[in-house]
Amino acid sequence: MSVDLSSTPRTLLVCERSSFQEEKNRVSTQVEQLRFNYKVSLLLPECNSLPSQLESVLDSFTSFYLIKQLPVYELLDKDFLETAVYQGNVYGLSYKTRIDEDNCVALLPNGRLCLSLDKDSFEVLGFEGKPSKFNHRTKSRFVISVDLTDRRMAPGGRGYQRLLTGLKSRLQLQTDFLLSHHPGGGASLQSLLSRCDWSEHRPQMSQRGLTELSCPAVHSCDPHSLLEWLGAVDADVTCENSSSSFLSTLACPEPKTTLSRALSVSVCGLLLPQDIQRLIDQLRCYLQQPRLESWVSLTVHGFADSPVSWGENEHGFLKGGENFYTLLMFHNHTYRLHLATGAHDACPP
Amino acid sequence: MPFSSSHVFPWPPSSSMAVFMDLNIRVDPDKSKLQRLIDTAAHLGFSTVALNYVFEPSTKKKQEIPVPTPISELIGELPVVQGRSRPIRVLNRLTVVTSDASHFRPNAAEYRRFDLLAVEPTTEKLFHAACMSYDVDIVCISVTEKLPFFFKRAPINGAVDRGVLFELSYAAAIRDSTRRRYTIANAVCLMETCKGKNVILSSAAEKALELRGPYDIINLGSLFGLSDENSKAAVSSSCRSVLLHAETRKTASGIISTSRTDQQEALQDQTDPGDEPSAKRPKHS
Repeated sequence: MSVDLSSTPRTLLVCERSSFQEEKNRVSTQVEQLRFNYKVSLLLPECNSLPSQLESVLDSFTSFYLIKQLPVYELLDKDFLETAVYQGNVYGLSYKTRIDEDNCVALLPNGRLCLSLDKDSFEVLGFEGKPSKFNHRTKSRFVISVDLTDRRMAPGGRGYQRLLTGLKSRLQLQTDFLLSHHPGGGASLQSLLSRCDWSEHRPQMSQRGLTELSCPAVHSCDPHSLLEWLGAVDADVTCENSSSSFLSTLACPEPKTTLSRALSVSVCGLLLPQDIQRLIDQLRCYLQQPRLESWVSLTVHGFADSPVSWGENEHGFLKGGENFYTLLMFHNHTYRLHLATGAHDACPP
Repeated sequence: MPFSSSHVFPWPPSSSMAVFMDLNIRVDPDKSKLQRLIDTAAHLGFSTVALNYVFEPSTKKKQEIPVPTPISELIGELPVVQGRSRPIRVLNRLTVVTSDASHFRPNAAEYRRFDLLAVEPTTEKLFHAACMSYDVDIVCISVTEKLPFFFKRAPINGAVDRGVLFELSYAAAIRDSTRRRYTIANAVCLMETCKGKNVILSSAAEKALELRGPYDIINLGSLFGLSDENSKAAVSSSCRSVLLHAETRKTASGIISTSRTDQQEALQDQTDPGDEPSAKRPKHS
């Protein structure tokens, strides 16, 4: 009468090795596709302090707004649609809502509004939607995905009216909301913000210097162990695996070397793909200069509670909502890209 | 007007379907201890908890069924659930530990004061009766001793058909290593017969340190033989089924039909209009 504990929750890892100089390299499309980024972590080996160019790029990340208790029908306001949504400027995500417990809302820059609702809310709202792909036994979660730029959803149209009355009178959905815009498009949000309780936030940056860090051979290490080691470094977990400590049995993959110093930098907030692309370009320049160690690691985490992960793939949360990618860059313009998701996710592209 | 949940359920219609719940927190007369328990539960991410009054009648002396103290008297301000913006919801629950057929009085008026009703049978005959005929929401599986009987398919399927759920609690496993073995053994035994459906996991915590977060309990469920999805349902959607079952039990002559068989399907049928595409929905103003 024993239980089979050998199966672990499903995770997906897609790896790619290529070069930036290759025309068809997928880095920029990947970066653009993961729209709602929560955290960027950098690991710079043999580095004491953040170089000024990298620091200026990180400082110039776009600020974002937090709106308290935004009534979701405000996102369908005619002015807001014309000045912001139709221009392809806006990123919006509901905040403090859990994808497996609450109703979540996402506004994508291509004009798509995604609502992930539980069964009661979906039925009260009364708009077309599909059951979630990650329902277990009973259909308890539904996803409504509306293209606001479509002419059927133009203000005054039937689809638009139906959704608007649904959100205004039947299901008065209100959530805290994170809102951001392409650099330079800040004015387009003003009309919406003037009606709400909002505050502006800068992405939070933190740095940590590390000494005597054991490090695997990044060129040849297998992806799973490498990602585990990177995660341990980012989470400040020791990889000593000493015999007297039972807190962690994580160990640095062999063969290993020791870095005398390294710098771990992280930035948190609602981060835009364009800012991350600029960071990647700047990191490539950083790598061109002669260095002691010829690699840099960049990990970008998506929001665990976002209704979408890459592109418009539905994202869910079973025991973990990870959807992230790690880009390992080398000085000869080559890279290794790892895209990882958890159990309730489609395969990353 | 589409079938609105506000007409059926007394709690606000925006209450979520799959929030995490812990339906077994031992009520303590010490208010500060209880406050710490509720604060810890909210901090861990539970959106609903139930204060459990355990009633163990003995044939020797006549005992009164406890009366639940109103929540407002027991707890000061309800803490906000971590990561969400609503305060935690607290319910009252009665567990009757039965060792004799006369201990559980069907349709006793005192039971109405509680939101949830559970029974913990200690013999096979009582377990069969609890699954097939007692008007309860939860059947507790004992975790403090090795089960004196094996689970048979018939009463388990009978309970599943009626919408009665089985409860496993884990605080005893935290306190004591012998009880840990009993908990796991009894749980695995139950899962073999019921295939992981209609199970809820709860704490039976007496102090704040005995509570664990919902995702930890989901992992614990895998030790009991539950799959990941079933384990997650055991702390979220199955608990919601318990609350719905309790509602129908209380409003038997009210809005919802209370046919004993397929109770959950009856509720789901009534709220199904949402599945049809919107073009076919009846026109309404």
